Amino acid sequence: MNRAALTLSSSARSWLRIHDYRFGLPIAGLYFLAYVLVDALSYVQPVLRLDICPWNPETALTLAFLLAVGPRGLPLTALAAFTAEGLVHGMPAPWWALLVASVWIACGYTALALIMRRWGLPHPIESPAQAMRLAGAVMLTSFAVAVGYVTLVTLGGALPRSLAIGAIARYWVGDVIGILTLVPLLMYADRWRSGLRALRRGLPIAALQLGVVALTMWLIFGLNQSDQVRFFYLLFVPVIWITLRWGVPGAILSALAIQIGVIIAVQHDMHAPELVDLQFLLLTLSLTALLLGAVVTQRADALQRVATSEAEQRALLATAPDAVLTVSSRGWLCSANPEAQRLFGIDPLIGRERALQDLLPSFELLSAHGRAAIDGRRIDGSGFPAEIAWARLEAPATAEYLVIVRDVTERRRAEVQLRERERALSDAMRFAVAGELASALAHELNQPITALVSYLQACGILAAPLAAQDTRLALTLGKATHEAHRAAEVLRRLRDFYRNGAIKREPVQLSALCRAIVTAFHERLQCNAITLAVKLPAVLPSLQSDVTQLEIILHNLLANAIDAVCQQPVDRRRIELSVDSSTTAVMVRVRDAGPGIAAEVAHKLFEPFVTTKMDGMGLGLAISRSLLRAQGGDLLYEPDASDAGACFIVHLPLDPKAQARKVARIMSCGEAT
Amino acid sequence: MRRSDVNDPTVFVVDDDAAIRDALSLLISLKGLRSAVFATAEDFLNTYCADWRGCLLTDLQMPGMQGLELQRTLAERAIALPVVILTAHGDVATTREALKNGALDFLEKPVDDDVLVDVLRNAIHVDEKRHRAADEHMQALERFARLTPREQAVLQLLADGLQHRDIAERLKISPRTVEVYKSRMMEKLQLRTLADVVRFGSGAPHSTN
Repeated sequence: MNRAALTLSSSARSWLRIHDYRFGLPIAGLYFLAYVLVDALSYVQPVLRLDICPWNPETALTLAFLLAVGPRGLPLTALAAFTAEGLVHGMPAPWWALLVASVWIACGYTALALIMRRWGLPHPIESPAQAMRLAGAVMLTSFAVAVGYVTLVTLGGALPRSLAIGAIARYWVGDVIGILTLVPLLMYADRWRSGLRALRRGLPIAALQLGVVALTMWLIFGLNQSDQVRFFYLLFVPVIWITLRWGVPGAILSALAIQIGVIIAVQHDMHAPELVDLQFLLLTLSLTALLLGAVVTQRADALQRVATSEAEQRALLATAPDAVLTVSSRGWLCSANPEAQRLFGIDPLIGRERALQDLLPSFELLSAHGRAAIDGRRIDGSGFPAEIAWARLEAPATAEYLVIVRDVTERRRAEVQLRERERALSDAMRFAVAGELASALAHELNQPITALVSYLQACGILAAPLAAQDTRLALTLGKATHEAHRAAEVLRRLRDFYRNGAIKREPVQLSALCRAIVTAFHERLQCNAITLAVKLPAVLPSLQSDVTQLEIILHNLLANAIDAVCQQPVDRRRIELSVDSSTTAVMVRVRDAGPGIAAEVAHKLFEPFVTTKMDGMGLGLAISRSLLRAQGGDLLYEPDASDAGACFIVHLPLDPKAQARKVARIMSCGEAT
Repeated sequence: MRRSDVNDPTVFVVDDDAAIRDALSLLISLKGLRSAVFATAEDFLNTYCADWRGCLLTDLQMPGMQGLELQRTLAERAIALPVVILTAHGDVATTREALKNGALDFLEKPVDDDVLVDVLRNAIHVDEKRHRAADEHMQALERFARLTPREQAVLQLLADGLQHRDIAERLKISPRTVEVYKSRMMEKLQLRTLADVVRFGSGAPHSTN
């Protein structure tokens, strides 16, 4: 028999329902013994020695066993019932009738157990509907079992037909009350710890309630009077009291206690009335208590849920980073969370009524919900940019609208800063491009102008013999030479304008700069699934440089690296940005695992208009090197032997001023020569 | 270039730009100087002969071997031709490097003809002076070789400033014999005064001591 899997509902809570318990001989024996024993104990006021009693707790035992082990328990329950007939009741009917009856009982309660499991029972009863359903199923099944049993023993000749109807009623009420007082108790079996804790807290009242029940029982049975049944209704008062205080468990326990009390009273008190009458009363009492208990439990659960939800919402509002306001239909503030009080400067202690109009002057709640970017105004009159969202609240809420306000001052400022930074960068980039273009253009044009000047001067010499005939020739050649020199001068000035553009020297936080650039590329890196490793040393010597130019240079190098690795398979899309330093310089390396640079391009890599890209101008590297050299640094290319990628090194001297002075000195020497 | 002209001072122009080459050589020849042009540094080095005189006028930025490299190669091969650099404006770093490596001068493009001729004449003059000095040194060595060991010793000691008597004592000969050696030595070396002797002697190789 496998320990398996008749898992019936995902809302499984009770140990009874988790799975079909494997049951071996010990469990089977235990059930068997308990059944026979309980049957013997509750063999009270039977009809003609038949097992037709007004209280059958052993039926509850059978049902609990079947709920735990499933339909496999059927033969054993039939055997137990049959054995009890023999041992306890002494075979009051023909054996075949009792055997069939036992099987009938087992089948009936197996069916009930299956139905209960289908409903997800047994687990603690949470609503009156569940309680009704349980009670209804138990009553119907017990009725079928009772009718079958009584019919069989009547057919067996053990019971006169005249007594059959009464026997059915007696049998039925016995089973129903047996099941309803014991089975719900099993549903709470795995909660006994929390139950005990609760009981400990309310021990005095529980004792008092028990006392009242005992007193009432004594009133009913102890006064030795006739017609006690009338007093039985007194029990409703303590039972309802207990149920209101303790919910379903209280109802079950009080019903069980009264049941046991009634049995004891009936057993020992000769004045006790017919038990079956009492049992019908007790059944009414138990059912009333069970339903009331279910209502109480449901209400307690609902209150608990509301309290939890309210506490969560309070915490949510208190910690929300946005201002949350509720507004009445006439535009008055109903509530403001702590952030709203802080943002608008509302003092919660000054209980002045405020209109939403005061806080959001240009805003009117017209639509059911929406979002907008408008200006907010604090109580002190100062304004701030805000983003708001609003929604009309559903009927039970007292406020008409919920308005959420977010202060976006910081974000706006950051956006403006970012835009300014981008503009500065693109300005600098344009300037650098123009400079490089001017430089390249000047170089290319200077060559023919040089030839031109020399040719013109040669012409001047050649024309010297003719000067006597016409002085205009020499004059014109002189003018032409002058103009060519002027053209060269224009080019020189153009290049000087860009070349000698003031280089700012400011302290550079290289690590921060690298991080900022990496952040700027974040999206492109992610889109192309590129891994960028940034290796920054903990300590870097302080560096004086032009931040914008450095940014342009690193921007260029990273953009190149990204273009290079984008054509690679995903596992080779790697770029490494590392910084290290010596005593004289700081080196920034941008290494990529791209295809590398062909040898025929490598030697002229830094010349303007040399590019390997389809849409490239070929100025990026040229500009970067020019900018670095103007600062006294340099840009170098290092083919990566191991990884067949490319590595560019930005070389930044630690004392660029000294470097610049050296250049200036050499220049002045050169010109003096 | 005709073989017979080879020893006349020539301006060797190295520039990758054909127009500049042509214009410069025209201008140089009109200014009365000889010129020879080369499109690349390699061409110049392959054609170079040891008896070439004059100066080298070279561009810095060239495909293949660059101006600085050419300069370095000349130094390695001990070619002492004076080098004048043609430079574009703003090419400070390379110009500085060239001057550090011993370039005589630099000319900025575009070049003014008067400046060009001044610089080139100066360079040729430097070259000539160096050759003349080298020639004189060679002649002196030849004449010195014609002296006998005794005459060489007398010359040496006279150059060191010793009196006849001291020389005689040092060489263990009579002062009279010193006089004879001295007059024979002066005759061979075509020296007229004692001052000439001292000047020649201090320049002469120290064969003894």
